[in-house]
Amino acid sequence: MTAAATAPTSGHIAFKGIRVRFPSSAGHDVLVMDDFNLEIPAGQFVAIVGPSGCGKSTLLRVLSGLVDADAGTALIDGLTAEETAERIGFMFQRDTLLPWASVQDNIAIGLELAHAPAATAKERIRELIDFLKLTGFERNMPHQLSGGMRQRVSLGRLLAYDPDIFLMDEPFGALDSQTKAVMGRELLRIWERHQRTVLFVTHDIEEAVTLSDRVIVLSPRPGTIRLDLSIDLPRPRDPRLLRKEPAYIDYVDRIWREIDAGAPVQD
Amino acid sequence: MTGGARKKAAKPAFPGTTKTAVRLAIDRLALLAVVLVLWEAAAVWLIDPLWIGQPSLVAARLWQLAISGELWRHAWTTLLEAGLGLLLAFAVGVPIGILMARSKYGAAVAEPYVMALYSMPRVALAPLFIIWFGIDLFSKVMMAFSIVVFIFILNIHEGLKTVDKDIVDLFRTMRAPTPYLIRKVLVPWIEPWIIASMRLAIGSALIGAIVGELIGSSRGLGWYIENSAGRLDTIGVFAGLVVLVAIAALANAGVGWLERRRLGWRNA
Repeated sequence: MTAAATAPTSGHIAFKGIRVRFPSSAGHDVLVMDDFNLEIPAGQFVAIVGPSGCGKSTLLRVLSGLVDADAGTALIDGLTAEETAERIGFMFQRDTLLPWASVQDNIAIGLELAHAPAATAKERIRELIDFLKLTGFERNMPHQLSGGMRQRVSLGRLLAYDPDIFLMDEPFGALDSQTKAVMGRELLRIWERHQRTVLFVTHDIEEAVTLSDRVIVLSPRPGTIRLDLSIDLPRPRDPRLLRKEPAYIDYVDRIWREIDAGAPVQD
Repeated sequence: MTGGARKKAAKPAFPGTTKTAVRLAIDRLALLAVVLVLWEAAAVWLIDPLWIGQPSLVAARLWQLAISGELWRHAWTTLLEAGLGLLLAFAVGVPIGILMARSKYGAAVAEPYVMALYSMPRVALAPLFIIWFGIDLFSKVMMAFSIVVFIFILNIHEGLKTVDKDIVDLFRTMRAPTPYLIRKVLVPWIEPWIIASMRLAIGSALIGAIVGELIGSSRGLGWYIENSAGRLDTIGVFAGLVVLVAIAALANAGVGWLERRRLGWRNA
């Protein structure tokens, strides 16, 4: 929570000719991505939307090195996930807290992995708990918390880790709409302060427009970019007021039409 | 830091106040007393103690054995056999379980044999083990080992298979070194499996030791029971059984204590 909003210098992302195949149970491989290209300047908040199974999550996994691409490269400031010293902060839809560790111990993991000096760790955890409105729950275990609070703790662990890049895979997808809106506002508050690069995968088009600088719409498998839309809405944004802006409504509508046009009739 | 928080979250085995806990203890003792009184009465008035023993005589025998030191000698022998078998099974079973979880293919190759050996009634090995390892300590240790080792193999394998992959992935993206991942995620993850294995393993290790003693030995609780039965000394048989029950119950209580202490986070 120290850095003021300065121009970001690191966190440039580039996908070059990414091709990913997954073996399917039927025996033949499924082509998830084929020659996928995308460049994201440092500090941009980018949302990725698209139908289920179009490879949105795969992109995050390839970039973070969890999945190997069959062809192409995913680079962070010109280096692969293995080469770069920059910190990648991943957040999943499911909270991935350690069930046997308290709120503060879970957040402490982020600090430990960021090699934060032990002397300041306590203070930093207190700050984060305060910032994420978890005061009074420091010693609670994850199972004693609501879904929204668990994701706050996940976010706390991520912030403690101080990543250069946030990769968020439907982080608020499992929350009820009210909690989701609150978490979105929280994320905006964080991003407006730190200006890190964010790749945010979501199913929720309104969430995508509310949060991001740019929305990428993917086609069904193999995922290619159908629409690359800049969201020129002023910041700081207030999600509640935004909903009434004609420009906002227009963006949401355009994305919807693009997804409808691209999706084959399913289900 | 983790330990402190865990202790705080641990809850008593039964929800409620100390008052209900005391009440529970009293009622449990009362149940035991009722059973003992009925048994005693049956032995005095209904059935010859030659068949069913008699609590007062069993108690007197236990006192006698305790004073002469025989009780401790036999109990210690059996405990040592079961305990060493358990430790050996842990030392061998846990690494095999880990290897099976690490290599899916290797596990697939080994699985039918592991399962076949596991399904075999291993008490049938006792005569062979007596031939191989003699009638002293070692054959009983191996009996206990042969029964218990599978409990650890199967539980560790199964426990590691269920590790939350998202958590592991997350730690990888955060560049957690492997030892850190093992210490912070994998070990705590399989701790409940290990404790559950312990619960099963203690009973099984005792079975192994006792079976070994029944077949061929010169001391131990199993030998004492077998020897008493050979002389139609029913009181002696019951005395041996009481000591066995006490050992098993104490060991179980120990695991229960460990469980409450270490796994408090699981109970809401």
